Amino acid sequence: MADILTGAALFILAVTAAGLFRTLRAGAPAERLMAVQLLGTGGAAALLLLGTASGAEGVSDVALLLVLFAAFSCAAFALGGDRSTRPEGEDGA
Amino acid sequence: MTLLLDLALAAWLLALAMHIGRAGEDRNAIIAFIAFGLLLGLGWVRVSAPDVALTEVAIGGGGTGILLLRAEAHLRKRRVGLARPMSGAGKAVAALVCGAVTLGLAVAVLTLPNPAPSLAPASAAALEGTGLGNPVTAVLLAYRALDTVLEKVVVVLALIGVWSLAPDAFWGGAPALRSAMAPASLTYLARLLPPFGVVIGIYMFWAGADAPGGTFQAGMVLAAMWLLVILAGLRPEPETGRLALRLLLVGGPAIFLLIGFLGFAIAGGFLAYPEGAAKPLIIGMEAALAVSLAVTLALLVAGPARKAPGS
Repeated sequence: MADILTGAALFILAVTAAGLFRTLRAGAPAERLMAVQLLGTGGAAALLLLGTASGAEGVSDVALLLVLFAAFSCAAFALGGDRSTRPEGEDGA
Repeated sequence: MTLLLDLALAAWLLALAMHIGRAGEDRNAIIAFIAFGLLLGLGWVRVSAPDVALTEVAIGGGGTGILLLRAEAHLRKRRVGLARPMSGAGKAVAALVCGAVTLGLAVAVLTLPNPAPSLAPASAAALEGTGLGNPVTAVLLAYRALDTVLEKVVVVLALIGVWSLAPDAFWGGAPALRSAMAPASLTYLARLLPPFGVVIGIYMFWAGADAPGGTFQAGMVLAAMWLLVILAGLRPEPETGRLALRLLLVGGPAIFLLIGFLGFAIAGGFLAYPEGAAKPLIIGMEAALAVSLAVTLALLVAGPARKAPGS
């Protein structure tokens, strides 16, 4: 059973990695950021499978943080994108 | 099967690192770097270090990512030219030095005596006295608590360094973090995510006593949720001169030091805990530290004051 779960995790990671390198080369910056989202979901899925396979504690917590920070980095990017399109910000400091 | 997985993971990490090194534009490199931090978390899980994995995902992926993106947005806004990319020779030298460091580390690890020298059995034997279940937390807050005190103080010092970059007229004012025009999807995310994030942050801190987790991870999660709310413009940036804010900043380290000095009176030494009361004291300290750390990390990202106080 553990071998099947590890195999499934490997497959998910392989698919995620393939998608990752494709999205990282995408044209628009927002599309490139989707790579981080992809890693959030794919990585969490692989972690949950691996955690069940090995029975190690705390692995599901890592998956939780992975999803949370993948979503957060999306918001952080809005800051960068916004500033770049409006070079004259309201604060002229 | 696990060996294959480990080899594949290592190969992807290396490939992603190469991609970061070759990325032409700063923002591309930063996005790939965030992805690298998240993937590295998986690597730490594979070497059975979930505590490090949590920290790597929170600080390496989330915290450093937003710091870098903010710095890049700032440089771009001011059109400060980092236009000249590193020359081929510079990259070659950097690659050579990094390769040499990696080789040196590999040699050092491979030449360790077998079994490697370890304090793990001694640490596990004393675990019962602290009442904690997570040996990492025991090392951080009981055995080597002095290092942890200094670490928290250093974070506050870093914030003072950032604040001192504020112009005189803005001293005590609020930093400018909010985007000029928050997209509707960001506002939606900022309403949706923080309730979950706050619960996860508190859980991280609470679980830290007996399972992987702890103050740093909890602090970064709480800081990220606060930043999200500010970024979307749902709440204004805090004025850096406010007394309540400054009390929150120093509260954690102050309580830590207070309990440390109390140790002289009740347990016979600096940062010594009385028999049986170690766990509640450590939990209390960790709660105060997590709040202080959350405020400090969020303000570090927000940067120096950019508005006059009271405006």
